[in-house]
Amino acid sequence: MPDKPVPDNDPIVTKSYAAHYMIAVTLLTASLLWALWDEAFGMRPWKAYQHEWKQRYTAFLKSASSKSDVSQKEVEGSSDYQKLKQDLDQATQQATPHVRDLQKQIGDLSAKILAVQSVFTDRRAYVNALTYQIETNPSSKQSIQKDLDKYKAQTATVEYPDGSKQPYNFEQLEETYNSLKDQRAKLNAELGDTLKPVTQAKAALDEYVNDHMVDLTPAQIVGLEKKTEDLDPSIQQINVAEANIVDRCESCHMGAREPVKLTAASMSEKGAKAPDDFAKAFVSHPNPALLQVHDPDKFGCSPCHQGNGRATTSIEKAHGNYEHWLWPLYTKQNLEAGCQTCHAADMMLVSGDVGWTISKGKDLFRQRGCMGCHRYEGYDKEPEELQSLNQQIKQLEGERRDNTKQSAYLMKRADAAESNDEANKLNDEAVGLRVANSKIDGRLQQIDFRAHSLMQDAKKVGPNLKDARLKLNKNWIPVWLKKPSEFRPGTKMPNFRLTDAQIQAISAYIWQSGFTDSLPHQKPGNADHGKELFETRGCLACHSIGEGDDLQGGTFSANLTRVGEKANYDYLVRWIHNARERTRPYCPYEKKDIGPEDYAKKNLPYVFDLAHSKCPNDGHELQVQNMTVMPSLRLSVEDAQDIATYLLTQKKQEPSTYADASFMDDPKLKDEGQKWIRHYGCAGCHEISGMEDEGRIGTELTFEGSKPIERLDFALFTEGAERGKEPITNPEDLARLPEGPAKAPWYDHKGFFEHKLAEPEIYDKGMVKSETEALRMPNLHLAKDQVQALTTFLLGSQESGLPANYQYRPQDTRRDIQEGWWIVTKYNCVGCHQFFPGQDSSLMKMKKYQDADWKEQLPPKLYTEGARVNPEWLRRFLANPSLSDTDTNRNGVRAYLKVRMPTFSLSDDEQRKLVRFFQALSQQPLPYIPQSVPTLTSKETEMARSLFSSTAAPCLKCHATGDAQHDAHATAPNFLLAKERLKPDWVERWITDPQAISPGTSMPSGLFNHVNGQWVFAGPTPPSFQGYTQDHTKLLVDYIFQLTPEEQRRVASSMGRSTASNSAPASKKPSVGATRHALPHSGASAGGSR
Amino acid sequence: MKKSRLAILPLLALVGLLLLAGCNKKENTEQSSSAPASAPAAPTATPIDPATVGSISGAVKLDGAAPKPSKIDMSQDPACKGANEAETIVSDKGNLANVFVYVKDGLGSRTFDVPKDPVVLDQSGCRYHPHVLGVMAGQTVQIKNDDPTTHNIHPTPKDNREWNESQPPQAAPIEKNFAREEIMLPVKCNQHPWMKMYVNVVKSPFYAVTDKDGKYEIKGLPPGDYTIAFVHEKLGEQTQKVTVAPKESKTADQSFKAGGM
Repeated sequence: MPDKPVPDNDPIVTKSYAAHYMIAVTLLTASLLWALWDEAFGMRPWKAYQHEWKQRYTAFLKSASSKSDVSQKEVEGSSDYQKLKQDLDQATQQATPHVRDLQKQIGDLSAKILAVQSVFTDRRAYVNALTYQIETNPSSKQSIQKDLDKYKAQTATVEYPDGSKQPYNFEQLEETYNSLKDQRAKLNAELGDTLKPVTQAKAALDEYVNDHMVDLTPAQIVGLEKKTEDLDPSIQQINVAEANIVDRCESCHMGAREPVKLTAASMSEKGAKAPDDFAKAFVSHPNPALLQVHDPDKFGCSPCHQGNGRATTSIEKAHGNYEHWLWPLYTKQNLEAGCQTCHAADMMLVSGDVGWTISKGKDLFRQRGCMGCHRYEGYDKEPEELQSLNQQIKQLEGERRDNTKQSAYLMKRADAAESNDEANKLNDEAVGLRVANSKIDGRLQQIDFRAHSLMQDAKKVGPNLKDARLKLNKNWIPVWLKKPSEFRPGTKMPNFRLTDAQIQAISAYIWQSGFTDSLPHQKPGNADHGKELFETRGCLACHSIGEGDDLQGGTFSANLTRVGEKANYDYLVRWIHNARERTRPYCPYEKKDIGPEDYAKKNLPYVFDLAHSKCPNDGHELQVQNMTVMPSLRLSVEDAQDIATYLLTQKKQEPSTYADASFMDDPKLKDEGQKWIRHYGCAGCHEISGMEDEGRIGTELTFEGSKPIERLDFALFTEGAERGKEPITNPEDLARLPEGPAKAPWYDHKGFFEHKLAEPEIYDKGMVKSETEALRMPNLHLAKDQVQALTTFLLGSQESGLPANYQYRPQDTRRDIQEGWWIVTKYNCVGCHQFFPGQDSSLMKMKKYQDADWKEQLPPKLYTEGARVNPEWLRRFLANPSLSDTDTNRNGVRAYLKVRMPTFSLSDDEQRKLVRFFQALSQQPLPYIPQSVPTLTSKETEMARSLFSSTAAPCLKCHATGDAQHDAHATAPNFLLAKERLKPDWVERWITDPQAISPGTSMPSGLFNHVNGQWVFAGPTPPSFQGYTQDHTKLLVDYIFQLTPEEQRRVASSMGRSTASNSAPASKKPSVGATRHALPHSGASAGGSR
Repeated sequence: MKKSRLAILPLLALVGLLLLAGCNKKENTEQSSSAPASAPAAPTATPIDPATVGSISGAVKLDGAAPKPSKIDMSQDPACKGANEAETIVSDKGNLANVFVYVKDGLGSRTFDVPKDPVVLDQSGCRYHPHVLGVMAGQTVQIKNDDPTTHNIHPTPKDNREWNESQPPQAAPIEKNFAREEIMLPVKCNQHPWMKMYVNVVKSPFYAVTDKDGKYEIKGLPPGDYTIAFVHEKLGEQTQKVTVAPKESKTADQSFKAGGM
C-alpha cells in the first residue's frame, strides 16, 4: 500500500477532544458522586436522623442530669433518707470493728491454709498414685501397701507464714488442712452475718432513692449518655420471624423506647420556634404502659400502627403513604384501629378502659344496629347459632325417622328369618337403632336447652313491630318514618330517605300485619308519683328525658321527651311492668306466631313464659319474650300505671293533632309495603310479621378495612377525592365529618368510611338511579366523634396476617372477663354500676346525684364484687334480685335504695358468664369453697355482742334489721344476709377500711386500728376484751356470720330500738323495706311488720 | 498534560469522597452545650405593706320572709340532745347567717402562707359547730367529737379527695386538710342524717362567715380591685366588685332573695 500523506486536517490529530472528555468525565464523576451520595445518604435518610438524634439526645440528657442531680439532692435531703442513711452509718460503724477483726483472722487463716496446702497437695498426690497402683496391681498389693503406710508415717514440715515450723505425718496434715478450712468457712459465715445489717440498710437506702426519684438517677443518665455516644449509625430493626414482622421504624424513631419522657418540644433545637421533623420523630412512645404489655420485640410497630415497616428510603414509603401500599399508617384520630388487629373479640379492651375510641366504635356498631344489616364476626351471634341448631334438629329428626323405619323393617325380617342366628343378628341391629334413637332424643333435648338460652339472649335493636297496632298512635307512624331524628334527636332509628309512597306502603304493611289481640284495660295512674318513680327507680340509667341543656339521663335507650305523642296507654303500662311480656309467642321452627287457638287444640292453657316455652304444636322452643334488653323493674301494676300516666304527659303536641293516616288500612298497599320492608332490611332490627327469617341486606364488614381501595365504590368522586374536593354540601352532614370538610386528598379507606357515615347517599350523587338501585344505607345521624369511632373500628377490621397466637383469645379467666364485658355492655350495667374507678355511670353524672344525700342512693360500686360475694349467691341474685318468690317489689339486698336492681331474665348461659366474669375480675377461683367460720364460744359471743352493740360501733344504726320503723332510716344491708351472700375474708377487709374498697361509701373507715400486729377496735373496748389477743375484726365477722334473727332482735332492743319484726330478709320470707315508707303510692299490698 | 490531569479528577474525587465518608464519624462529636435549665421563677408577688392595708366589712340580708326552719327528728339516737331546727337558712330579722364571703378575684398571683394553727370543727349536740367553715388549702382542720355517741365525718367533695372516718366518743381529734380550692364542700354524718356542714377551702386568708347578725369582716386586705363572692349553701353565689384604697375600711352589703327555695 502506498504511503498516504497524513492529511493536514486529520480530525484525530488536529481536533482536540478534550472538551468531550471533559464533559464525559464530569458526567461520569457526577454520576459516581451521586451514586455514592445516594448509597450513603439518599437511600438512607435515617442516617441524618440518627446523627441529629445523637446531638439532641445528648443535650437533653445533659440538662436532665443536672435536674436529676438536684432531685437526688432533694431526696437525700429528706428526713426519711437521712434516717436510712443514719441507719446505714450506724450499722456500718457497729459492724466495722468486728468485720475488721474477722477479715484479719480470715487473712491469717488463708495464709496458713496456703502453707499447709502446698505440702499437703504434694503428698496427697503421691498417696493417690500409690493407692491407684494397689487397685490396679493386685499381685504386688501388699508390698505397695507397705510402702504407702511407710510414706504416710513420714513427717513433712510445714513452714507457717509467721516463721514457725511444724512437722506432720500425712494424717495430721490432712486433719490440719481440713480443720483450717472449716475455721475459715465459719469465719466467712460470721462475716456475712455481721455484714447483714449493713447490706440490708444499704439496700433499703438504694430502694428509697429509686422509689423517690421522679426521673432517672444521675447514674442511670450517665449510662444513657454513654449509650448514645457509642451509637453507630445503623438500621435499627425489629425482626420477628414467627409473625413475619420486620420493622425498621426505630431507625428514625430513636426515642420510642427510651426510659425518659421525650416530647417534641424537649427534642427541638434550642431557640426553634416549632418542633421540626426530627424533634417530632424523636419523641418517646406516649404510652409506655402499653409497650410494657406489648413488648415491641415481640409485636413490632406495624401490627398496631400499620405503615411499611421494611421501607427505609423515605418518610412516605416508611409510613406507607403511597399508592402501592395497602396499609398506610393510622392517623392520630384513628390510632386505635390497630388494637382491632388482635383484640377483635374484646368488647372492652382492658378492664379499666375509659374513653377508648375503638371501644366506643364497637359499642356504636352494636347499639346502633349496624349488625342488623351487616354481618360482623362475633356480633349478634345468637340468630346464626339458632339457625344452625334448627338445621341440626331437622337433620336429627330425619335420622330418627329413618332409624324407626329401618328398625321396624329389620324386626319384620327377623321374624321371618330362616335361622335363629340370622333373626338374632337382625334383632340386634334393630335394637341398636332404637338405642341410637334414644341418644338422638338426648341430643335433641340438649339442643332445646341451648335454643332456650339463645332465644333468651337474642335481641333486636328496635322494638317488636308485630305490636304496632297495640302500641302506637296510628297517625304518628308515617310522620316518624319520614325522618325519625326530627321527632327524636339521637334515636337509634336512622333516616331512610323514604318517598311518601314508600312510607305509605311500609306503614300499611306494618299496620295490617300487626297483632290485633286485645290488651287488658288499665286504670289511670298518678302522674306526680309516676314522675317521682321515673326519676328515682333507675329508668334514667338508660333512658333520657328533656332536650338540650335540660336533658337528663343515659344515652343507651330512647329519649322519652315526646313519648306521649306516640304511645298507647294500656300497652305502655304492660311494657313498663314487664317489657319482655309478649303478645303472642313465636315458633321459629314453624315460622309462625302461636295463638290461643293452637293451645286450645291441644287442650292446653294459653300460658307462655320462660317456664312454659314449648310449642304446643311440635314441642320446640318458642320465643316467649320480647327481644328487648329492657328489664323488668318488678314494679307493681299501680306503679307501672303511674309511670305510664306520667310519660303520656311528655309531649309537644297532642296525639290527636297528627294528620289522618287511614291509608294504612288499604289492603292494596300491603304487598308494596312488604317489598320495601324487605328492600330496606327493616327486619334486621325489628320483629315484623312474615319477615322473621330475612337475611342481612348489607355487606359483611368483618374485614372491611382490608378491602382493596378499588373495591370501595367512590362512584363519581374518585378523582375529586384524589384532589381533595368535598362532595358533601348538606351542612348537617358536613358537621358529621370528624375533621370537617375535606382539605386534603381523601381517596383512602378513612375518607371513604367517614363520608359514607356522614352522608350515606353521597356516592349516589350525580348518578341516575331508580328507586331500587339507589344506595340503601340510611343516615344514622351520627355526631363527629361517633363517625370517628366507627371509622376507627372499620379501619381496624382487617384480615390479620399475624399468626393465630397473636390474637387475644385467652383460654383462662381472662376469657371470662372478655365474655363478661359483652353481657355487661349488652344490658348497660354501666348505666348504674361502676366496675372500676374512673368509669362514671349514667346515674352518677346526673344532676340529682350530685347532692350528698342522693349520692348515697347510687347503686353499689362493683370494684371488688367477685371478692365480696359468694358466686352461687350471686347467680341466684342475678336471676332474681328481689331474692324472694313472692315479695318481688323491692331490692333483695339494698331495700333502702330507691333505685331498683332490675330482673334481666338472663339466660342460664349469661348468668354463668356473669358470675365467672365477676370472679375473674377479682381474681377469685372457681368453684368457690366457702371458708368455715368457727363457732364462737359463749364468752366470745358475749364479747362480740358487746362490740357489735357498743356506742362506738353502732352497726345497727345504719344497717337494716327487718324492723319497718328502724329500716325507714337504714342505709345499709341487713346483717342476716351476710352468711349466704358474703365471703368472710372480704368482710374483714371491708370493716377495716371500707373506703379503700368502695370510695365514698357511707360506711366509715377508722373503726379498727392495727396495733402490734393485731386489729383492735378503735373506740373504748368493753372490759371483757382485757387480754384478748385475737383480731377484734375476726371476732366481729365470725359473730356476724352466725347472727340469727333472734339475736339481732335482742341486740336491737337492748340498744333502745323498737322491737324488730320476726322476719328475716333472707330469701322467701317477705319483709318490709324502707322503700315503702318513702313512697306512699307504691304497691298497696302488704305493709307493716308481721 | 491536560488530559492526564483530567483523568486524575475522578480519582481525586473518589479519594476525597472516601475521606469525607471517613470523617463523617468523627465530625460533630462536640456536643451542643445546653445552658442549665433555669428553675421556673416563683411568681413575683407584690408584698403586702401592712401600713396600707384596708378592710371590707358589711352585712348580708335576706330579702323576704325566711322559710320556717324544718324540724329535725333526733329521736333515733338518745345521745343526741340539742336544738332541733335545721340550719339550712338561718335568718334573724332578715340578717342572714352562714354566708361564706371571700375574695374571689383580684389578688393576682399572690400566694399566702398557710396558717400553722388548725381550724376547729366541733361535733356537739349532734350538730356541727360551725355550720359553715372557711379554711385555707392545706391548713389543718381539727375535728372533735364532744358527744357521747359515735359520729362519722364524711366530706363529699367535687375536687378534693373523698374520705369517711368514724369518730367514737372521747376519741382523739381527727386532723385533716384539703389540698384544693372548693367552695361549699358538703360534710355529713351518715349516722345522723341531719348533721350537715360546709367547708370552704380557699387559697387566701381573706374570707369570713356571716354571724347570726349577718355581719362579716375581712381584714388586712392590700389596696386593690376585688371581686367579693357571697356564697350560701342554698341560695347560691352572688358577687360584688369592691375597690379598696390604702387604709380604707370599705363596706359591702349584700342581700339574697328568699324565694327560689
